[in-house]
Amino acid sequence: MSVFNRNSKRTIVKIDEFIDTIDLGILVFREGIRSYIKGDLEAFSTHLNKVDQLEAIADRLQREIENEMITYSILPQHREDVVKLIEELDEIMDGIKSSMYEFDIEIPEIPASLHEIMINLNEASANAAEELLPAVRAYFRAPHTVREKLLKVYYFESETDKIAYRIKRKIFHEMHDIDLAHKAHMRYIIHHIEKISDLAQTGADLLSAMSVKLII
Amino acid sequence: MILFFLISGLFLGWSLGANDASNVFGSAVGSKMITFRKAAVIASVFVILGAVIQGAGASNTLGKLGSVNAIGGSFTVALAAAVTVYMMTRLSLPVSTTQAIVGAIIGWNLFTGNRTDVATLTTIVSTWITGPILGAIFAVLLYMVIRRIKRRSGIHLIIFESYIKTGLIIVGAFGAYSLGANNIANVMGVFVPAFSLEDLNLGIFTLSSARQLFLLGGLAIAAGIITYSKKVMETVGTGIVSLSSEAAFVVVLSQALVLFIFSSSFLSDLLSRAGLPRIPLVPVSSTQVIVGSVIGIGLYKGVRNLNFRILGEIATGWISTPVIAGILSFFSLFFVRNIFNIDIGTKIHDAGPAENLSKPWNISEVMKYVILAIIAAGLIMVIYYYLLEKKKETEFRRSEERFWKYFK
Repeated sequence: MSVFNRNSKRTIVKIDEFIDTIDLGILVFREGIRSYIKGDLEAFSTHLNKVDQLEAIADRLQREIENEMITYSILPQHREDVVKLIEELDEIMDGIKSSMYEFDIEIPEIPASLHEIMINLNEASANAAEELLPAVRAYFRAPHTVREKLLKVYYFESETDKIAYRIKRKIFHEMHDIDLAHKAHMRYIIHHIEKISDLAQTGADLLSAMSVKLII
Repeated sequence: MILFFLISGLFLGWSLGANDASNVFGSAVGSKMITFRKAAVIASVFVILGAVIQGAGASNTLGKLGSVNAIGGSFTVALAAAVTVYMMTRLSLPVSTTQAIVGAIIGWNLFTGNRTDVATLTTIVSTWITGPILGAIFAVLLYMVIRRIKRRSGIHLIIFESYIKTGLIIVGAFGAYSLGANNIANVMGVFVPAFSLEDLNLGIFTLSSARQLFLLGGLAIAAGIITYSKKVMETVGTGIVSLSSEAAFVVVLSQALVLFIFSSSFLSDLLSRAGLPRIPLVPVSSTQVIVGSVIGIGLYKGVRNLNFRILGEIATGWISTPVIAGILSFFSLFFVRNIFNIDIGTKIHDAGPAENLSKPWNISEVMKYVILAIIAAGLIMVIYYYLLEKKKETEFRRSEERFWKYFK
């Protein structure tokens, strides 16, 4: 049987490696944004380089997984769904990279009064993405547990939205000491952090439908 | 001349291969789990093996229904069945080769004044109902077991699917074997009483007259699979697979089991020795068993809106196919005897021993070369596929290396 499964096992290893890379990317994003907010630009720069490498690895793995699934006719019935899911996860990685580059290029000035709440926003957004990954792993081994795992993704995504709303409201209603351009820039930066949780939600929606297909 | 009379049976075999192979490998090919070429080679080899090794049981039962004792009669009966199958397929009506041949044999009985053995007929007809029901029962039980194993083992989806893929190939081979064993009676059953060829000694084993006919019938079925079943597999297969891969596996396995049970003299003897009633060795319709299995799984999964149209079509097929084949057989026999002046058989008690038809042509010699050619072709195919797989793997590796070299 091992002869028949050789290609399958190799693909499983690559899928696991891909998920690990995304997991690591989220972790680096969390730490990178936190160090930026706290003003540790050196640490931020290190994290940015790391994200760059992880994104390249994720892209390579994504291509290899797709190729192998097609070439060796792996999971023919669910291939389309799995490939789409991997693309969605890669979108998260791309989102992380682009967000961190926005910080690096635009060097947004975050008022000290917003530091704590911005870290909370970052945490909630990263949590949403992080909670998606156990559900992705469960899809392959215990599809009936996927939906309960996804509840956390939806919870953190909703938390991210609420925090983002609070920050934006505070900026535009309470912080009269900063000019409109700065406010608009802050809104833009918030959107970049928030985007990660939105991407996680898109992945969760897809995964939820995929797991139902497997269960019925 | 002998080969000419066999043409109708070979045509019937060809159409059976073209249509019924999709029941065995349709799900695997339709879902692109295995290529058509692989499926066709496996199905062809195992259909021939099943026909030659285990084809006698179901064929004897058909012989009891009506022992067509002249090759002209066998030719006409098989032709009537083949034309019925072809016509009904063209009209997209559900059709079973088994029911067509039974109707055609009854037509011969009526024309020649032979009595139709009611007990045998009842046995055959009862399996048309028990076949799909048994298929449904097997399907539900197997489905329950597989689902439970899958859930409890926590097996990775990709590994599970790869097992299913391998399983579909193995079960497909078993299904093809059972199809050959069970349905060869439809193709060659009517020729068996009329033909008496010399035994063919191949050194390791000897092929009797009936087995030589079964080998030819098996080859015709294989030709049908190779030349015409691709389209049917790709269309019918996707219909079955729309359930799920494990359901497709279960459906093919339960169909193979039902066909095997109704053609295994060993199982029948075993039950008889245990004091239980014997299993009737009867050709059953593989399509109807498949439909029964699919309905079984549907009911287990709680499908409330059962498609009564399909059930109605099956029931209509039970009646319309044998009736059409019987009428066609009756009138064809009339024309063959009165216009072409060919002997189509007589009442059994008047019939003398069957003419030894191997005398004018030494068929056994021809068969020896046919068997050698099959073995040689099989070996060439195996080597060819091995080399093809190797080439594919090397090309894939090179393409990956080129891409990353370019990327860097």
